[in-house]
Amino acid sequence: MKTLFLSVLKPAALSLLLILLAAVATTAQSARIQTNNLDYLAAKASETVDVNIDEHLMQMTAKFFSSTDPDEKKIKELVSGLKGIYVKVFEFEHEGEYSAADVESIRSQLRGGAWTKIVNVTSRKDGSVEVYLMTVGDQISGLAVLAADPKELTIVNIIGPVDLTKLSELEGQFGVPVLDIEQPAKTKAKN
Amino acid sequence: MKTIKFNITRLSLLGIVCLALISPDSTSAGAKRDEFGAVVQAIEQYYHVKHQSIPFLARAGMKTTTTAMRIRGGQYKRLAEAGSIRIAFFEDQDFDSRGGLITFKTSLVSAVGETWSPLIQTLSPKDESQTYIFIRNSGEKVNVLVVTLERREGTVVQVSLSPHNLAILMQSPEDMGKAITNDATRDDN
Repeated sequence: MKTLFLSVLKPAALSLLLILLAAVATTAQSARIQTNNLDYLAAKASETVDVNIDEHLMQMTAKFFSSTDPDEKKIKELVSGLKGIYVKVFEFEHEGEYSAADVESIRSQLRGGAWTKIVNVTSRKDGSVEVYLMTVGDQISGLAVLAADPKELTIVNIIGPVDLTKLSELEGQFGVPVLDIEQPAKTKAKN
Repeated sequence: MKTIKFNITRLSLLGIVCLALISPDSTSAGAKRDEFGAVVQAIEQYYHVKHQSIPFLARAGMKTTTTAMRIRGGQYKRLAEAGSIRIAFFEDQDFDSRGGLITFKTSLVSAVGETWSPLIQTLSPKDESQTYIFIRNSGEKVNVLVVTLERREGTVVQVSLSPHNLAILMQSPEDMGKAITNDATRDDN
């Protein structure tokens, strides 16, 4: 019986463990934040904007901008390498329409792992603005902005090599809202 | 022996035919979905409204809009590829979702199906204003489906765009729906 357990169940348990570890690793490596749990807020919000530019669309956009037209060339350089831009903005008429748990559901995905919160980042917008970078090795693989204003909740998730400079260049384009983020001369990072 | 072999061959053929009939490829090829029609139907069913086609509006002396969208280079160029435009209008009808905007959104997304990717959705329940843009690859072109609903009117537009035009419009996805709808309803004459 013991032999049967060792020969059949042990490999099965090991396989299950490996599958679970692979699933955890895949989730951990992805710079995409899940925001679907906030969709219910659209019913309460006075205005909702939901932008989904996936990798395919991003690459196609980069590919078809002209390399000779100076304006288009600049945008082409800006978006090349990006694998997605996802934006969700909820505007409310009154304060307290979204809960701390809603914000926490996003923040918890950005805590630890490969995500690093950039400190000393300020915004001219009201409320708190948190900016996170995901790094894999020396490479930045994603950026997330969580802006929680009493009457507005904004989540920006950019996948690919993007930093604060690139973020400010993207503001007002490709669905990225104007966040008015001001970066100090020396940016410190903490987990 | 010959009979058994014949029966086996017949059964195999029957099996292949059955498999071909139930395979997803054959179903999609056999009954190509009309997502544009499905979207119009979903709107009609949810809001109890009725769409009007272009010929009707043309006879009624439709005033077309001149789009503000201009592609760089000065002169206005059509965004949509010639002959690719499908439009359904809902004029002077009541689009009151009575708080059920999310329910409507679910039925709309279901009507659009999985071959289209949602690009942008803007909802403003207070004004009963909704815009949905879906995108689908179509060989060298890109199909774009725009649904715009206001309190008293609505438009469903499907167009084919060149990837370059799409790339330019992508810079400002919030304005894309308006630009495409205006372009599709613009009268060159």
